[in-house]
Amino acid sequence: MANYNTLTPELIEQLKAAAPGHLLTGDEINEDYAHDEMPIYGKRMPDALLMATSTEEIAAVMKICNENLIPVTPRGAGTGLVGGCVPMYGGVVIDTTKMKQILEYDLDNFIVKIQPGVLLQELADDCAKQGYLYPPDPGEKLATVGGNVSTNAGGMRAVKYGATRDYVQAMKVVLPNGEITDFGASVSKTSSGYSLLNLMIGSEGTLGIITELTLKIIPAPKKVISLIIPFEDLESAIATVPKLKAANLGPQALEFMEREIVLSSERYIGRAVFPKEIEGAEVGAYLLVTFDGEDEDSLFDLVEKASDLVLEEGAMDVLVADTPAKIKDAWAARSSFLEAIEAETKLLDECDVVVPVNKIPDFLTFSKKWGEECDLIIKSFGHAGDGNLHIYQCSNDLEEDEFKRRVDIYFEKLYEEAVACGGLVSGEHGIGRGKVKYLKESVGETNMALMEGIKKVFDPNLILNPGKVCYTL
Amino acid sequence: MEILVCIKQVPDDSVEIRLGADGQPDLSAADPQGNAFDTYAQELAVRFVEENGGAVTVASVGPEDNKTCLKNALAVGAAKAHHISDDGIAGADAAVTANLLAAGIKKIEEADGVKFDLILCGRESTDAIGGEVGELLAEALGLPFVSDIVEAVPDAAGLKVKKELESGYLMVETPVPAVMTVSKPDYDPRYPTIKSKLAARKVKIPTIAKADTGISADAETPKVVFAGFEEPPKREAGVKIQEDEPADAVAKAFEIMTADKVL
Repeated sequence: MANYNTLTPELIEQLKAAAPGHLLTGDEINEDYAHDEMPIYGKRMPDALLMATSTEEIAAVMKICNENLIPVTPRGAGTGLVGGCVPMYGGVVIDTTKMKQILEYDLDNFIVKIQPGVLLQELADDCAKQGYLYPPDPGEKLATVGGNVSTNAGGMRAVKYGATRDYVQAMKVVLPNGEITDFGASVSKTSSGYSLLNLMIGSEGTLGIITELTLKIIPAPKKVISLIIPFEDLESAIATVPKLKAANLGPQALEFMEREIVLSSERYIGRAVFPKEIEGAEVGAYLLVTFDGEDEDSLFDLVEKASDLVLEEGAMDVLVADTPAKIKDAWAARSSFLEAIEAETKLLDECDVVVPVNKIPDFLTFSKKWGEECDLIIKSFGHAGDGNLHIYQCSNDLEEDEFKRRVDIYFEKLYEEAVACGGLVSGEHGIGRGKVKYLKESVGETNMALMEGIKKVFDPNLILNPGKVCYTL
Repeated sequence: MEILVCIKQVPDDSVEIRLGADGQPDLSAADPQGNAFDTYAQELAVRFVEENGGAVTVASVGPEDNKTCLKNALAVGAAKAHHISDDGIAGADAAVTANLLAAGIKKIEEADGVKFDLILCGRESTDAIGGEVGELLAEALGLPFVSDIVEAVPDAAGLKVKKELESGYLMVETPVPAVMTVSKPDYDPRYPTIKSKLAARKVKIPTIAKADTGISADAETPKVVFAGFEEPPKREAGVKIQEDEPADAVAKAFEIMTADKVL
């Protein structure tokens, strides 16, 4: 158990000297730094905030904090959903959003080097200008790429291209003792000891602070087509997914969504995009699928095969988005789901579970049944292609304590069921503070002890992001 | 009602376009597509005929490549498409475009044996943003004209249309045939179905060569001559005030503004 010290005026002066003009304290700190996008996991203001501008500055601050047992919590844009960047024990928050330079491209080797505070949207747009694609595509485009790496964020295109982990080749890291080191290399494969790089990816700021990233990019596909596929109900929509995958058509993204969440999202964005009725029959669920390719004719061949397949499997119709404006509109509705739920909900929690693809319908049925049992409003969507479901628990009338009590029962049931059918606690949002208990139950004592051991090797004084992932106080 | 919608093929307006080394806009990353306001015009037309009967025809002036936007239009409710071929249209002014459209429309009417009751254009194109072709087309055809409509219903006089103004809306009754430009209604153009999309891709779109439209030499002579593209001057770097203390920073700002005679 770590005994942390509090920041004294003398220590604050030391920190200010280490980061001139970039350390904020007291009223200078915006209250947003007390929480992420899921405030239900607790709020706490940091005692000091470093608006970091360089690796060296972070190293200097880390060294002082380590020597004086001051907890440090790294933070990107604060868009996390598990309380990962909340400084639960006070101390210093290190914000990396000012480190937002795209440093260099090495297009011969398909590599871009960036600082961690570059936003996902900025990186995507900049790569597109070069004719390249950074494939990871999490829904929150205003997250920092450093944050994406810290949670191994997945996103829509993971079904074809994989998650963030698959695109990180190297990184510069400040260790908790202030030492600066490099993990990985700008080469396409390695077999050189334990992969410290892969330990860092998804470690949610508990092992070190990422200050530079070398990422893999690919030539941008020449042509992209999205299909909006309405079904009468969710079961028939999901039942189509394994068949679509088995047909080896290689969709880039394969999302499912229920009618209710689409209606919420369209209310939020103020425009109707998805069809609600096909020839008099009400649409109950949708698949949103994207294919990419090198030329229009071969891509249309692919799209035609996919359409024949889904129509045979009971799709009500297939709508084609093949112009940039139409593709953008279709995905804008999908990308606004979380904001739409937030806009209509007072209390909110989320289960970011991953299950085998063929278990999705049963699992969603189970989730609805337990939503009724716990008397919670349940709204769901997710990545049908990789079994990653986002199941939101909502309430507009419960007191917070009662809401939390019910959600706890709900989570216990859902995660137990997820593990029983071969799934895991988190598909892409991470563990943070909110899911530690369920991680323990899911992976077991042996694996948790290994994680705790790794944590102590990196961070013997346990100052970095305490209370998160595997180490609780 | 027989409705003709004029569609301009433009570069994708969601892509940032810069001048290339040759001083011309580099359009390599901007796929060609139907001008957004023209697609609004087509959706308005298709909704009108679905409600009131009739058919929608689309036409586009330009090179062979313009058939792309015509095929997209066929997939979302147009019954027929005509390509008016002119490889040199990119350098023409709005009057030449309107004159060629007017001549082409007469040929389309002859070929299809129809007389259009309503001819629609988008209020402006997203590339040139001239906003003149609709008006000049009405002039060339000698037809009544209403700009910026967002709604049209049949009326004893012909049509009653809702015209968008900066301050609100104006309801206008007009006889037909008429020419109108369309602004953004409160709905979006529909998505094509896979069936309509694949069918449209297979359609052979007839072409009317410019020479066959009978356009006069005067009508195809630009009155406005294109002078060239020029990028706006780059903003000069500003002065960064980096004093640590707010009071010093304010003092520095005043010092700079006083020196530059801003104050």
